[in-house]
Amino acid sequence: MGINNPVPLAEVDDILRPSADANPLMDRGFAVTSIDALLNWARSGSMWPMTFGLACCAVEMMQAGAARYDLDRFGVIFRPSPRQSDVMIVAGTLTNKMAPAFRKVYDQMSNPKWVISMGSCANGGGYYHYSYSVTRGCDRVVPVDVYVPGCPPTAEALIYGILQLQAKIRRESTIAR
Amino acid sequence: MSETAKAISDLFTERFGERVTVGDTQSGITTVEIEVDAWQEVCRALRDEEDFNFEQLTDLCGVDYLSFGQSEWDTEDASQEGFGRGVESLGPGRFDWASRPEAGDMKQRFGVVVHLLSFRHNRRLRIRCFAPDEGMPIVPTLVEIWSSANWYEREAFDLFGIVFEGHPDLRRIMTDYGFTGHPFRKDFPLIGNVAVRYDELKGRIVYEPVEIEPRVTVPRVLRDDSRYKSDEVDQAADARAEEIAAAQGEDKDG
Repeated sequence: MGINNPVPLAEVDDILRPSADANPLMDRGFAVTSIDALLNWARSGSMWPMTFGLACCAVEMMQAGAARYDLDRFGVIFRPSPRQSDVMIVAGTLTNKMAPAFRKVYDQMSNPKWVISMGSCANGGGYYHYSYSVTRGCDRVVPVDVYVPGCPPTAEALIYGILQLQAKIRRESTIAR
Repeated sequence: MSETAKAISDLFTERFGERVTVGDTQSGITTVEIEVDAWQEVCRALRDEEDFNFEQLTDLCGVDYLSFGQSEWDTEDASQEGFGRGVESLGPGRFDWASRPEAGDMKQRFGVVVHLLSFRHNRRLRIRCFAPDEGMPIVPTLVEIWSSANWYEREAFDLFGIVFEGHPDLRRIMTDYGFTGHPFRKDFPLIGNVAVRYDELKGRIVYEPVEIEPRVTVPRVLRDDSRYKSDEVDQAADARAEEIAAAQGEDKDG
């Protein structure tokens, strides 16, 4: 399939890999890590996305979530409520009429929160860039972390974007500044 | 004209006389043009009378005939390699609000096209009427005859600005709240007039004048694809290129 579990970037990742050679829990019975690494491990391992399907990209997002690619493997479980979500996947064309509702949903998400812009329309208007009714990029409304190109992007491309966001989250430092 | 189309044509002429004009038939659907004054009356007869019995209105839409027949690019001399996309700068929609084309005093600019379906006769029909006044096109509503016309008429009002007289709730249905203009009119600029953005200081979405220039997005066409090289110039160029390559190869060897 060509899709693997994310490569562990920090020692704390090995807690979840009992068979790994360097598993500190199996080896010593405890693990030593920084709180930042623990936070990032927890955050990147359970990114619950707000389901924000706006157009055809949403079908590819469903495909990524369905049995074949199965986003659950990455701890990505779609939520119907912004209150329970960490990341918003903007999948499709954002129109001017939708923009205030879109921003409201983003504001309702609890911190820390991330945004994945999926597809040409969400990235910069795409096919509808010169239209009277389409917002030319969802980054005019919310800050975006990862842009996934394509029209629509394949499910693999979306998963790659999610893995990129995981890598980005693991580089964050909440405690040590 | 096929036999069915002929039968329908005779039926209409016999029943409605001068008020309707039977047009051509496409894919088994005959187009009938109806005088706007007789619009409701004829439609009621089309629904109720045994000969017609069109129980269902399946579609209603507006049409703006302002640039009817004008094409944006020329395809008459299209060859196998494709055709030139030299686009006029003021093609349909490619202008801003200040430089929009004048509509002039065009007769019969706005039309309303309705598709009907009769279950009883297993027959479909397309009827059309033209709004009389170009400044403010007014057409009688069909909501009381077919209730499915309700949202279709709101759509035609929203996009074309056709006012349906007697409609119970003629509001915009698709465009943004507070939108001005009717975007499917041919003198409406495609880029619109406003763009939205989130203002951090105000903490809300703000509307600003549109900042982009109208532009035609021309698809990138590969013109010198060697698979389609046919004419003598191309072949001569290929032969010359091969000669040069061969000469360079010899130099390298030597």
